[in-house]
Amino acid sequence: MTPTTTETLSSHAGGLKLWLERYPFLPALIIVVALLALNGAFSPNSLGYRSLTGLLSTYMALIMLAIAQTYVVSAGDIDLSAGATLSLVNVAIVVLMEKWGGGAGAVVGAMLLGVLLGLVCGVINGIVVAALRLQAIVATFATSIFFTGVALYVMPVAGTPAPALFWRTYGGRLLGLPFVFYVLAALALLLFLLSRTRLVTQLLAVGDDQQAAYQTGLPVVLIRIKGYALCGLFSALAAFCLTGDTASGDPLVGGKMTLYSVAAVVLGGSALAGGWTTVVGSLLGALTIGLVNSLVFFMGTPSEWQNFVQGLAILFVLMAGVLAGRRARA
Amino acid sequence: MKKLIAIALGTVASIAISASLANAETFKIGLSNGWVGSEWRTQMIDEAKAAAEKWKEKGVDVEVSVQSANVDVPGQIAHVRNFIAEGVNAIIVNPNSPTAFDPIFAQAKEAGILVIATDAEVSSPDATYVGIDQTAWGAAGAKWLAETLGGKGKVVAINGVAGHPANEMRVAGYKQVFKDYPDIQVVNEVNANWDQAQGQQAMQNILATYPDVNGVVVQDGMAAGAWKSIMDAGKTGQIAATGEIRKDFIDLWSKDKLNSGATVNPPGVMASALNVAVLMLQGKELKEPATAGQYKNAMYLPIPFIDSKNLADAAKQVDGKPGYYSYTSALSIEDAEALFK
Repeated sequence: MTPTTTETLSSHAGGLKLWLERYPFLPALIIVVALLALNGAFSPNSLGYRSLTGLLSTYMALIMLAIAQTYVVSAGDIDLSAGATLSLVNVAIVVLMEKWGGGAGAVVGAMLLGVLLGLVCGVINGIVVAALRLQAIVATFATSIFFTGVALYVMPVAGTPAPALFWRTYGGRLLGLPFVFYVLAALALLLFLLSRTRLVTQLLAVGDDQQAAYQTGLPVVLIRIKGYALCGLFSALAAFCLTGDTASGDPLVGGKMTLYSVAAVVLGGSALAGGWTTVVGSLLGALTIGLVNSLVFFMGTPSEWQNFVQGLAILFVLMAGVLAGRRARA
Repeated sequence: MKKLIAIALGTVASIAISASLANAETFKIGLSNGWVGSEWRTQMIDEAKAAAEKWKEKGVDVEVSVQSANVDVPGQIAHVRNFIAEGVNAIIVNPNSPTAFDPIFAQAKEAGILVIATDAEVSSPDATYVGIDQTAWGAAGAKWLAETLGGKGKVVAINGVAGHPANEMRVAGYKQVFKDYPDIQVVNEVNANWDQAQGQQAMQNILATYPDVNGVVVQDGMAAGAWKSIMDAGKTGQIAATGEIRKDFIDLWSKDKLNSGATVNPPGVMASALNVAVLMLQGKELKEPATAGQYKNAMYLPIPFIDSKNLADAAKQVDGKPGYYSYTSALSIEDAEALFK
């Protein structure tokens, strides 16, 4: 082997590494594009404008929840109560909107209180995990049961409809464009602004090496609580999207979404151990889950095998993403 | 890769050919099931597929595509979106939520798709419910029990999941019936979450607390467990209790001569819904518009009942099937046609 080839090889690998370092969501993006192409190959209609808008409006809630999860994962924590927080905010805003008459004022008022409620749930988690130093995975599992209990108290049976104004806006159009595009644009702006704050860098520093962060003088406990608060905030936003898509309250709706949100974070290329995360990746990870579910159907998988194939496909995507990510960090 | 493309092209071509050859009526119907936790659901889908096959004899091509997986509510909304993208003529859903589908069903209807819910009612004005009335289901078991007990005695109820719409309707059903029997005393009501083990434990507690209980209203999915406790306590001859429609229970019932009666929630509901859907797609109109139920969009199917009189017939129907197989009934094509003008 001549020195020149070694050089080109290493510079090539270095280039890939550089790219992945700057854009850690690249593998996830490639996977999403591939899944879109596959969906399109099996069912051309699924790439239509209408279908893609539908995909986005249905999975926007999971996207938000995955982003919520990303911020706590950044600091090396986890939140198994994100789905329960979503359920609680969902039933709370639906009940409040109904109580206040369902007008524009009621919708805005309920949403403000919903954000506040999400923040409170997040801060409770933060205090339990960071200040009281309980293991995040068990402590947030416990708070998830607690939040579900409160949600069942607020609304004992699924069913209260959300005001038409709310869900017609979410599912409708504004200036000729589907409203969900504006939600996506607003989310992108919010993520951009957040990425420039010191908090996100601090969360990553804590996740990378908590001891080192502490020794450099960072208020680790406070930072982790703030991470959970951010998670609560985005869980509340997720609840708004879910309410917009389902037009009703359901005290148990988010329960199944929690683990999907964790899966989306990992599929997106973040490391669960913390210190290396990408919110854009999590967004793509949530879409990956949605696209895999659709693909399993469009491929014509027999119904008795659908669960099996779906699990296998997610596992496969996970492996592909993790291998690419590991290479970049190696 | 080339091979793959060739295969893909081949498939496309064969689909195109088969489509052009089909001179008969062709309907594409999407079936969505959002929970795969019991054999009942599997049987429901198998029967619906079989019902679609039967239409071939009538010269109607009914093509079903199935989405059945454990999904959350957004996941099942995605099922409906996929069906819309696929361009089906009708969608039949066993829904995970009574209300969450209002917006997506509205979109489906806008796209010219017929939407039918089965097994659980939905609030959407754009859908029709074809299935049994859960209130009447609860009432039928209670009526059998009241009559079996001669109109008097101490009764307990073992219910499903508190807050679940079907459970609340069934409870309302038996309460309504017992109102007409002033000498029937409901001494306790417990929730056992449609779980055999919890049903068994609840019955043990009940037998310990009320040794003189005469009758039990227990929903399917828990009745086998409750009966196990009754038999373990040696009270088989003294207590009348509602039962199950699964083969293993029907066998036990015949063998030990249990004093039982079972309201049937047949897994054939989706097959019935499919037959109704095809007739609707053919442009036929119902004799009586579907306006029943709390959401004014329901068409209720008859509810069969198994007791000592027809137990042998029921046993014959499930004979040779696996233990988890449920006694079933569905509207045949002719039955369904009779409901239309």
